[in-house]
Amino acid sequence: MPENTPYMVAAYIVAAAILVTYAVLLYRRTLKP
Amino acid sequence: MRLLKTGRWITGVGLALLAAVYVRALAFTPVERFQGPAQKIFYIHVPAAWSAMLAMGLVGIAGILFLLLKDPRFDRFGEASAEVGTAFSMVMLTTGPIWAKPIWGTWWTWDARLTLTLFLFLLFLGYLLLRGAVTDPGLRARYSAVLGICGLVLLPFIHLSVYFFRTLHPQPIVLKPSAPSLPGPMLVTLLFSFLVFTVLYVGFVTQRYALSLLREQAEPHA
Repeated sequence: MPENTPYMVAAYIVAAAILVTYAVLLYRRTLKP
Repeated sequence: MRLLKTGRWITGVGLALLAAVYVRALAFTPVERFQGPAQKIFYIHVPAAWSAMLAMGLVGIAGILFLLLKDPRFDRFGEASAEVGTAFSMVMLTTGPIWAKPIWGTWWTWDARLTLTLFLFLLFLGYLLLRGAVTDPGLRARYSAVLGICGLVLLPFIHLSVYFFRTLHPQPIVLKPSAPSLPGPMLVTLLFSFLVFTVLYVGFVTQRYALSLLREQAEPHA
């Protein structure tokens, strides 16, 4: 079922975006608490 | 602050290992015969759910310990764990529907497992909103502890909901009494991802806990 590859790619991008964004936001918040 | 540096370091290692999970899952783990590439969402969806449930479990345990010992460190930890759990819940609740669409034919269905995991996310949000709404630190800590314990009580129902109710969601294939029903290479990838998501949880919580400490030092009566 290679036609569902875009779903896999989308899920991996969304997961990375959420986790990296949270990591960056947390880092920035700890610079100026 | 040493704790903050430790948290940043652990988070950095966790993010690097997350990249390794992606490489391992996408390039070195076999494609499942029936679901095709979409099945690989499993390697991020399930560990994200694990981290979210770990976060809520520890919020609840910290709540119990706070009510028993009145130690503000448990309240601070609960706050940190709830915020981090919200992030992991978001990963769980976004990757799940993206996986469901090609396999079930629908993004969402209001069955027991999905509804309870949405409820878990809303509990995290409610916990954080409650903390923002109550200004008295002692009262805030007590109310938060009680809500955290409610979240802890919810966890077994989420895990067992696939046994109690008819649902589209698959039953556990690793966290169950019998041996994991997953081929070796897939199981290795999943366990590696579990480990990495746990490292990320520890890194995030350590940083968030340190942030609370820094804020308290800046405003002792906040």
